[in-house]
Amino acid sequence: MFGYGLRRLLEAVLVLWLAATLAFVAMQLTPGDPAETLLAASGASSEEIARRRAELGLDDPLPVQYVRYLADLARGDLGTSWLQGRSVGRMILERLSATVELALASGLVGIVLGVGLGLLAALYRDTWLDTLAMAVAAVGFSTPVFWSGLLLILLFSLYLHWLPSSGWGDVRHLVLPALTLGFSLSGSIARLVRTQVVEIVRMPFILAAQARGIPLWRIILIHVLRPVAGPVITLIGLQFGFLLGGAVVTESVFTREGLGRLTVQAILWQDLPVVRGVALVGALAYLLTSLLADLFHAWLDPRLRQSEER
Amino acid sequence: MRRLLIFLLLAAALATGCTPQPGGRIVYGLTLAPTGIDPHINASAELGIPLTSVYDTLVYQDPKTGEFVPGLAQKWEVSEDGRIYTFYLRQGVKFHDGTPFNAEAVRFNLDRITSPDLASQKARFMLGPYERTEVVDEYTVRIVLKEPFAPLLDSLSQVYLAMASPTAVQKWGQEYQMHQVGTGPFLFAEYVPSGHLLLRRNPDYAWGPSVYQHKTAQLEEVEFRFFTDPATRSPALESGEADVMGEVPPQDAVRLKDDPRFRIEAVAIPGSSLMFFMNTARPPLDDLAVRQAILYGTDRQAIISAVFKDTSPVACGPLAAVTFGYDPSVCQYYPYDPARARALLEERGWKDSDGDGIRDKDGQPLVLDLYLMSWGYLPTIGELLIAQWTDLGIRVNAQTVRYPEALQIGREGRHHLMPFQSSGSDPDVLRQFFHSQGSMNWSKVNDPEMDGWLMEGMRTSDRQQRAADYSQVQRRVMEQALVLPIRDYVNLNGVNQRVQGLRFDTRGWFPWLIDVTLGQ
Repeated sequence: MFGYGLRRLLEAVLVLWLAATLAFVAMQLTPGDPAETLLAASGASSEEIARRRAELGLDDPLPVQYVRYLADLARGDLGTSWLQGRSVGRMILERLSATVELALASGLVGIVLGVGLGLLAALYRDTWLDTLAMAVAAVGFSTPVFWSGLLLILLFSLYLHWLPSSGWGDVRHLVLPALTLGFSLSGSIARLVRTQVVEIVRMPFILAAQARGIPLWRIILIHVLRPVAGPVITLIGLQFGFLLGGAVVTESVFTREGLGRLTVQAILWQDLPVVRGVALVGALAYLLTSLLADLFHAWLDPRLRQSEER
Repeated sequence: MRRLLIFLLLAAALATGCTPQPGGRIVYGLTLAPTGIDPHINASAELGIPLTSVYDTLVYQDPKTGEFVPGLAQKWEVSEDGRIYTFYLRQGVKFHDGTPFNAEAVRFNLDRITSPDLASQKARFMLGPYERTEVVDEYTVRIVLKEPFAPLLDSLSQVYLAMASPTAVQKWGQEYQMHQVGTGPFLFAEYVPSGHLLLRRNPDYAWGPSVYQHKTAQLEEVEFRFFTDPATRSPALESGEADVMGEVPPQDAVRLKDDPRFRIEAVAIPGSSLMFFMNTARPPLDDLAVRQAILYGTDRQAIISAVFKDTSPVACGPLAAVTFGYDPSVCQYYPYDPARARALLEERGWKDSDGDGIRDKDGQPLVLDLYLMSWGYLPTIGELLIAQWTDLGIRVNAQTVRYPEALQIGREGRHHLMPFQSSGSDPDVLRQFFHSQGSMNWSKVNDPEMDGWLMEGMRTSDRQQRAADYSQVQRRVMEQALVLPIRDYVNLNGVNQRVQGLRFDTRGWFPWLIDVTLGQ
């Protein structure tokens, strides 16, 4: 168990270092000069832009910049935003809650909707209900969120006046973004659940359970959904990247100040410290989700636990 | 039909009632979630919309006359050589946190703005050749420049150089922008980035400039919310979620105009027009005749109608028509005349010799690299330009790039045409584009005479002399066909009829919220 923990820790450090390096290299490859981007439109002269470039340390050779950056990271210092003049760590912390909130809520919507649709389709296989549920699922994963988001705004904000179209704060602001992203997530979950359930209901133990007179809802809940939960959790772990990417767009449509919007702004303005900080936090989030997914998997499936403990 | 409409509007206005009532709150829609909102640090125009009412400036500019009037400074003197500005400050002014406003506070603010540690993105450069600030006595302060800088008063009348409470700045440090403290008619009550920004009435306000109509704010609260997606703006207005909304898309504005519940306040923004810079250093645009052909051969009115639904004027030259120093004579140049454009190209040897629809000369086809950006409807404008120019026998390679890349392309001169637009109430805005050393000299112009006019315009404080200088610049820019101007920028504000007294400062972006009242 200790060896396992150590291995995962080493893996985590490696992933973080790779993410940090990738963010560094990627921003070097994007065209443009950050000092110019910050100042050109403000009437700064070419000399003033050059002075700022030097102040930002952008004139130093790349290896020097890279080592300085890694040294700062090692000390836990994410630096100061060039755009806002505030601490990057603090800016990320401020927005983390908005994104985590959205990710959790849309994950929940996606699971409920996806499992519901998938179950419906599987239990009524080859009927019109199956076709309908799978059609809804197909619409879900093939509709871009910027479009479904706007449709939801039109319906619930403009025509029905039920919910606000943008901003964030209370739960009402969360409903539409979570529906948008959750719906989009539900599509692939529904397809997975349907395939899995169709296989499971053919198993003899389901027939046996039915023969023993166990009520249908219990069979579904305990005998069908529990084995399905494993693959679904894995899928959500894998879909986490999609969730983050979707959150970027969703946050833009609904003007939620989350990590996604922060990243987009930082990239557009070449605010390198923020881009690097967010990349690192993104990698950290991946590590955490995959760890959680593994633990949850193990908890669901005793065989995995035993093999790790051996 | 039109008369009926006017009647309906009037009837609606009467029915809704026009008697203003003190108190109340409005929701004001902003279009861009600013990346940072410290006016001393950040550069966005968006931050000034709320913060102009949180702060006071040393001077104000009367939008009607263009004259500067007293603000936190009661009067001021400029030395003979234009290098020393002495300001006599108003007494009895207090920041929202109780800190007294005095000469020391002015020095503190200007020191802060010019400090390299603050890394200011705009305010620092608005001070031009700033040297230092001297405190003469408690209510007299002196700004010393290295050389004369005529736009200084214009700069000092803007929120970017507004006076912040030294106590609050020291207390909050890096986090000051979340807790801003000024002397203005509204207090900075609460800020949740991209969530909302709440201003609350400052009951003690008694030192407003003469351009304000009320002594204290008439509204109790103003809440700012962010509507970055243009498609969500008019819905928010129509659902009552917002009372004022900036930058309503033109097609929505046209629709709202016909709705008696709302009005559109179209505010022309001074500064440079939206223009495409033509790279005079890169063939075939090194040829004046080819550049002129592009100007004659572009139907700008068609673009204004199609993209902007005729809500903004066609631009004639590099300055927007509402900017000080604008010379209307530039409108005589280059009326739409495609026949003339073709003739000019033919004259210079650009003929379609191989019958492929594209002109060529010495075996080289007439190809232009057009770079676009995603803001300001540029992709749509680009499509129309491509269609019009293809019609003239020019092949266009169009590409949309991000802002940082555009700056690099412009600097390296890899473009033939690339657009930009810049707001600003002083014509000195032209210097960065048309001075040979300008930081955005995308036309690659190198004209000693023009450099001279631009420098004189920057240095001399004689308004007539300045107007003459900038008139020369504008005419030279158009004679030399350095740019293809498209439109003057107009901010289409959608306003709920219950909101009254909404006025904007000279910049056109910044509302004077103190005078806003609510009808029923």
